[in-house]
Amino acid sequence: MKYIYLLITLLIVSSSCKNDKNNQDSQEKTITKKEIVNVYTHRHYPADQELFANFENQTGIKVNVVNAKADELIQKMSEEGEQSPADVLITVDAGRLVRAKDKDLLQSIDSKKLNEIIPTNLKDENNQWFGLTKRARVIIYAKDRIKPEQLSTYENLTSPTWNKKVLIRSSGNIYNQSLLASIIANNGEESAKDWATKIVANMSRSPKGNDRDQVKAVVAGEGDIAVVNTYYIGKLLNSKNPEEVKAGNGVGVFFPNQEDRGTHINISGAGVAKYAPNKDNAIKFIEFLASAEAQEVFAKANYEYPVNKKVKPSELLQSWGSFKEDTLALSLLGKNNKKAVILFDEAGWK
Amino acid sequence: MKLLRDIYLKRDTNKWSIFTLAIVVCIAIPILTIFFKLFSGPGETWSHLVKHVLADYILNSIWLVIGCSMLTLFFGVSSAWIVSRYEIPYRRFLEWMLILPLAIPSYITAYAYAGIFDYGGSLEILMKTIGISSFKLDVMNIFGLILILSLSLFPYIYVSARAIFLYQSGRLIEASKLLGATERSTFFKIVLPVARPAIVGGLILVLMEVLNDYGAAKYFGVSTFTTGIFRSWFSLGEPSTAVYLSAILLFVVFILIYLERLQRGAKSYYNSYKSNNVLKKKTVTTKRQLLLFFIVSIPIVFGFIIPLSQLIYWSFLTYKDVLSSSFFIIALQSLGISFLTAFFTVFTALMILYFPKWNRLKALKKVSRITILGYAIPGAVIAVGVMIPSLTLDKWFIKIAKDLWSIKIGLLINGTILVLLYAYVIRFLAVAYNPIEANQLKIGKSLSESSKLLGKGNIRTFFNIELPLLKSGAIGAFILVFVDVMKELPLTLILKPYHVNTLAVKAYEYASDELIMESALPSLCIIATGIVPIIILNRLILNEK
Repeated sequence: MKYIYLLITLLIVSSSCKNDKNNQDSQEKTITKKEIVNVYTHRHYPADQELFANFENQTGIKVNVVNAKADELIQKMSEEGEQSPADVLITVDAGRLVRAKDKDLLQSIDSKKLNEIIPTNLKDENNQWFGLTKRARVIIYAKDRIKPEQLSTYENLTSPTWNKKVLIRSSGNIYNQSLLASIIANNGEESAKDWATKIVANMSRSPKGNDRDQVKAVVAGEGDIAVVNTYYIGKLLNSKNPEEVKAGNGVGVFFPNQEDRGTHINISGAGVAKYAPNKDNAIKFIEFLASAEAQEVFAKANYEYPVNKKVKPSELLQSWGSFKEDTLALSLLGKNNKKAVILFDEAGWK
Repeated sequence: MKLLRDIYLKRDTNKWSIFTLAIVVCIAIPILTIFFKLFSGPGETWSHLVKHVLADYILNSIWLVIGCSMLTLFFGVSSAWIVSRYEIPYRRFLEWMLILPLAIPSYITAYAYAGIFDYGGSLEILMKTIGISSFKLDVMNIFGLILILSLSLFPYIYVSARAIFLYQSGRLIEASKLLGATERSTFFKIVLPVARPAIVGGLILVLMEVLNDYGAAKYFGVSTFTTGIFRSWFSLGEPSTAVYLSAILLFVVFILIYLERLQRGAKSYYNSYKSNNVLKKKTVTTKRQLLLFFIVSIPIVFGFIIPLSQLIYWSFLTYKDVLSSSFFIIALQSLGISFLTAFFTVFTALMILYFPKWNRLKALKKVSRITILGYAIPGAVIAVGVMIPSLTLDKWFIKIAKDLWSIKIGLLINGTILVLLYAYVIRFLAVAYNPIEANQLKIGKSLSESSKLLGKGNIRTFFNIELPLLKSGAIGAFILVFVDVMKELPLTLILKPYHVNTLAVKAYEYASDELIMESALPSLCIIATGIVPIIILNRLILNEK
């Protein structure tokens, strides 16, 4: 086995050396000819693939994609170090982008387009990452049992009214971690821990399943309210499975904290890798994703809120009405992430 | 004294010792990399973990191990005994159906069951159409997890138990019967003890899979060691804490393996010759036959047919969105990668089994054991263990290229299929090693020793005598690895090169976007490609008769 590996390695080395020695110039030319951008992404929606193909057609820059969870991609990038082929990192949460920044994996870029399009609270202070789509973490309620007037804030979910009525997924989930991180930033650590502990006491069942499962459980009567991301409701309503559509129709969407700080939002966003071999292409790529054309696709196909103000959300999202967003700097979600995980453990939130 | 030792060492070592050591080092590097990371100490959250969640991880993992051991032993041994001992309706059909649950990745089985018992799930629809008011059964808890993991993993025990029942127990049962023992006492006092090493070997594979499971446990909200490893590594951002948890897990597996060796070492029941006395089938009354048929059908229905039906239903709803030309390319890539990996893994397993035999250094055999530990290490941890040394090598190449030829080269090894294959071999070596070793023990030493006495060398003896006899074990190993690679997820996610994608990754991508219905079609393809080799595997066991 070792010999086979050794042989193959030697073969690769020798062949590449030969090429490089003899045809160094011609090779360099061929390399510069073929423009590429290497994208490490946590997003793998069909709509994204469509967008990447559009980008290729418009610019002639080939998009190479590595799909994995953000955490694994970050780990990969930090192991690869200076040799990393990654040009762009895309995650589905601001916290992970902050972690990548903290690990010194991203670089500041200067893009007029991006600065114009993306609001300050949705990007990094040093322009190391940029939000591309927004998702709101809202409260959903069983239409047949609960009136929206009974709901008000995330904090209100801890009241005894909701004893054994709250459904929410596990604390391993990044959206929950970011929600708690935002509560830490807004209300302080003590109060955040208190919140998590009381939510655990109000849970109608031990946390399990994904966001869609929480919605179904509400409709099935296992609890009355749940905390989920908006686009999952959109996906349920447009599901191929008639039972899922029914579940989607059984719940109402409520945007909490409208009287004070606003509803917690998170982003899916991108940054240019520190050692990006194709930096210019990477910037072009992110600019493309923020453009009205691409944002239209994000909005329609995935029921996310576009960051580009020129683009309207999908009709479904518009039907839920506009709402006040928490304008907390999203970088704080990343800064408080670890604290949030620890508080979850202490609160006994599985 | 020192001189004497040197003389002995010289006498006992030869080129095979060096080869063995080279392979062992190659395989052990990633495992050792993880081990050495231990010395940098756990992360700062370690004390937090110990205080708040470690007890939960340990308790749940213990329950899983106990529950799954009992259930898989029950399903595996009972079905193996029934199909090898009794003439029941559709026996030949049942024989290979019993292996099929292995073709479904356990996290997919978990998704399917969650979908069945869900609100608006298949069960509810079915109840409604029949006209019964629906009842709610929650499978998404630790009991459900134990049941589902057992249903999808019991074939490991079934396969190894049946092989032994078929070839080893014929003569013994006859003797026992002649001496007046009843069927029941023959089974418990003779058949079961003889089959024990093989059954325990299968059980260890089951337990390693159980301890390694991530997808199903996470979805069901059960925190285990492995979900804890992922959490502390990724959510808390502390690889060193994750490594600490892995080390504990590794230690437990070490103990399991040691216990198995201990009990196998003490009792060696393997016949040195191939018995012509294949176990004769017993005919029983029709009523009994139906009862036995019913017992054997349970794990097939619940471990295969029901989840499969759910997946087919989902695929039917979503195939239009999922099928595309790229889908076929992914399927082909999956097959290619699995095939290559299976080949290399079997090859490596054979080398690890035989090279140490060809010299007199006893210690080597023990050392070579550590190579099969990869199966116990979570795929994600192996991926990092592989990445760190291969990057070091890459950086070294880059430096050499720069110093010697002053040219700039990129990563030569990392991000290539080579690294992925290498990691797979480490991960699945045990899967190939165990059946081949069992087969080898069955052959015994006498044939190869005769060959060597007649002056044939190690290699000739191996190719002319041993390999033909090992054929079924090696092909069996090949198939098991093939099916496992088709299903593998975490390691592939981290190490796969650009442009390469597998069906398992595709299924996971859909599932992690909460598009579980869309993940059904790639899952079905994984199952379909798993079924064919499994049927071949079954033929092999039968042909040995």
